[in-house]
Amino acid sequence: MWTKTEKRYQIVQIDLRHPLEQVTVPQGASGIAFVPRSNGRPVGFFMEEHPEGTVIRPRDLAVKLFQWCGRQILAEKIYDELRWRLDCAGFPQLDISICTHGRPDALKRCLQSLDDLGLTGAIGGTRVIVVDNAPNDDRTAQVVHSFPGVKYVVEPKPGLDFARNRAIQEGSADLLAFLDDDVIVDACWLQGLREAWAANPDAAAFTGPILPYELETRAQIAFERMGGFGKNFDRVRFGRALPRIPTYPVGAGMFGAGANMVFRRSVLKQLGGFDDALDTGAPLAGGGDLDIFYRVVQAGYPLVREPALVVYHQHRREYAKLRHQMWTWGLGTMAYITKSWRADPADRPKIRRWLLWWASYQLSKILVPFLRRTQERWPWDMVLAEMCGAVIGLWGEYDRSLARVEKVRRQFA
Amino acid sequence: MSPISTLPVTCVESETKSSQAVLEPAARSSKTRWKVMCVDLAAPFDELSCPASYGGVWVIFFFEGVAFGHCELSREQLPLSSVQLAGVAARVSAEAVGDCLFDEGFRSPLPGLPSPKLQDPERALMRLTHCERPLDTLESTAGIAAPDSRVSVSVAVCTRERPQDLARCLASLENLAEAPLEIVVVDNAPESEATRQVVASFPGVRYRCEPRRGLSAARNAALSHATGDVVAFVDDDVVVHPDWMSRISRCFEDSGVMVATGLVLPAELETQAQLMFERDFQFFHQGYRRRRFDSDYFEASRATGAQVWTLGAGANMAIRRKAFDLGYRFDTRLGPGVFGGCGEDSEYWYRVLRDGWTCVYEPAACVFHYHRREMSALRRLVYEYMKGHAAALILQFAKSGHWGNLHRLFLQLPAEYSMLCLRLIATGFCLEDRILLRGSLGCFSGLAFAFALLKNSSPKTV
Repeated sequence: MWTKTEKRYQIVQIDLRHPLEQVTVPQGASGIAFVPRSNGRPVGFFMEEHPEGTVIRPRDLAVKLFQWCGRQILAEKIYDELRWRLDCAGFPQLDISICTHGRPDALKRCLQSLDDLGLTGAIGGTRVIVVDNAPNDDRTAQVVHSFPGVKYVVEPKPGLDFARNRAIQEGSADLLAFLDDDVIVDACWLQGLREAWAANPDAAAFTGPILPYELETRAQIAFERMGGFGKNFDRVRFGRALPRIPTYPVGAGMFGAGANMVFRRSVLKQLGGFDDALDTGAPLAGGGDLDIFYRVVQAGYPLVREPALVVYHQHRREYAKLRHQMWTWGLGTMAYITKSWRADPADRPKIRRWLLWWASYQLSKILVPFLRRTQERWPWDMVLAEMCGAVIGLWGEYDRSLARVEKVRRQFA
Repeated sequence: MSPISTLPVTCVESETKSSQAVLEPAARSSKTRWKVMCVDLAAPFDELSCPASYGGVWVIFFFEGVAFGHCELSREQLPLSSVQLAGVAARVSAEAVGDCLFDEGFRSPLPGLPSPKLQDPERALMRLTHCERPLDTLESTAGIAAPDSRVSVSVAVCTRERPQDLARCLASLENLAEAPLEIVVVDNAPESEATRQVVASFPGVRYRCEPRRGLSAARNAALSHATGDVVAFVDDDVVVHPDWMSRISRCFEDSGVMVATGLVLPAELETQAQLMFERDFQFFHQGYRRRRFDSDYFEASRATGAQVWTLGAGANMAIRRKAFDLGYRFDTRLGPGVFGGCGEDSEYWYRVLRDGWTCVYEPAACVFHYHRREMSALRRLVYEYMKGHAAALILQFAKSGHWGNLHRLFLQLPAEYSMLCLRLIATGFCLEDRILLRGSLGCFSGLAFAFALLKNSSPKTV
């Protein structure tokens, strides 16, 4: 933990087509986060600590931007040139499902961002489905009804993966996107998906960067500092193996996260959908996305990480909740690892090796800041929470969760 | 060159087949066998698929005969459609393309020094963001096409009892887009007539015998006999790109440049030893971006030792003959055949840099190197390389009195090997690291060179 108090970070979108202007850190802010856009698409995300009132001159800003994303900008331009005219015709029908539970305000914002892209009208082969998971009231239903064309479905069994599996059953479109209710999509999200699909019509899954929607509290800043949801803007097509990474695809952390993922529905059905025993909500709220990525890749399907498929996620605002989230991350990851351990006896040496790597990685999170300056900083209590969660996760959490889920199923049968 | 091919040189296939027979089957398991493929980005390319019985493809991206990057793609990731391959190409070649296209922003940092600062960052960023179709621009304005050389070039191949390799090398030299002034083969301390017979079968190639054993002596002989303004050396175990000579000769249009080195790419990765040499050790590979080493660099890095071994590889270098006239000779106490497996080239570069001349690394001039296929040879090579490296550091200190060389020898190298030991423990003693660790033994035996120096009469300095 650092002693300095983090107030808030201003997030600035910079369109690189226009000449740079100076950026001033506003009153009450303790830093700036930049989202530079080239050709109308985000090409990176970077944050820097600055005292309030600091003026960043265009010259200094240009130096930073070049260093941060110069390579990425040029790589995108070369890709645009080499791929000639990408034929997006024949883009299949798309269902965008949002699984939500008692967060009508966030949901409204998410639907609004989809509405701005013209996606909520159920026209043009795209339809939005809101799966209301074990609702306590009708606030979610009211929000959905204010967007005509959006389909509203109730899934009474509490648990995110119950809701996700409901979404698989609900529609018939070839592509099925999953968004969390606390995200908004970038203006280039759909076009990014169309192009990623046109380049990889055989891919079973697409993921993209998840940037912060706001950095207003200490917890949100701390989360981004810890690496957030992954902001890798490299375009990668993952297959069954990856040279030089012996533990691939165990861990599944490089693929993306559940807040922003798109699948071919047929593949999901063939794989039996999401694992209900992961992502059940408290106490085991996580691991379901990793598990499905892992299974998609293990089944031999390509998974594509597309840099233009950008969403903005509202992180936990309260520090205690963030700590709890880190705990559930450790828990969920290890529950998923337990499951993979049982499902793939052939891959056990890999999993064992990954566990060793994971343990040393956690240690390095604590030790590295003492050794050298890094962009990423991990408060030790967060690392500790994740490690404790992991220990409990390995200690039979998956079995406990299976039992709990079985009880829920019987209850609703 | 077709869009996707093996090497952009002819005559390779028949030669490799003959030498494939000697390999034991165990060394050729498909997991550790990678196919080297070249993709020309200038023409529309097709799908890339994995040839049978290979573990993957080592794909090198070319544009107008210049290599811009490479990527390893395992069998499980293939086939890739042309669009998917374009995505890979864009990612791995962006930096090198930027280096050719813009005057700043993508410059390669020099080893041991921080990245160069942008002089006019706003303009650099503006030019980058407003550059549409970078590859077209590269072709039309940046003058990427192979130039005509304005200096006369003698090509020298120093060899010793490797007639098959030599024949392959000479055949590729016949295919140069522009004929060199002459091709000289220096036969070093021959034991048989084989080399002479190979040379006789290539009309126009001059044969020279150098009875004194050692690559240094052979190179000095080549320099003294060559008549061109520039002497371009290639090892006998490479094949050259057709544009290699014209591109390396262009470096010498600047009169301050005494030495130019070029890119050394793998010609084949048929065995685990070759793959390890290329991928894990990267003894030869110095990247796809140009580097210029001048007296400023030498002064800036002198305190911790100028990292001359990162300049390139002796397998692909050219020297202005004026350097020979000025008295620069390869030190015959060092180098393959005499002491250690390398070091004579970097020690030569060190003196050239020390005296204020310039050395450049020009990746556009590329050759393809056949790494040693056997694991035992790789083990020996690591040992010999480090032995030669340590001896070169000692010799550089003896000749120049620069303490940076001892800093490297007694601080940096021990620190690196300590880290390696830690990594060995952490990674469970993997084969690559165990082989690398043998280099530390090489360093120790290299120290013996100091005693030899002390015993001998005072070393001749240039």
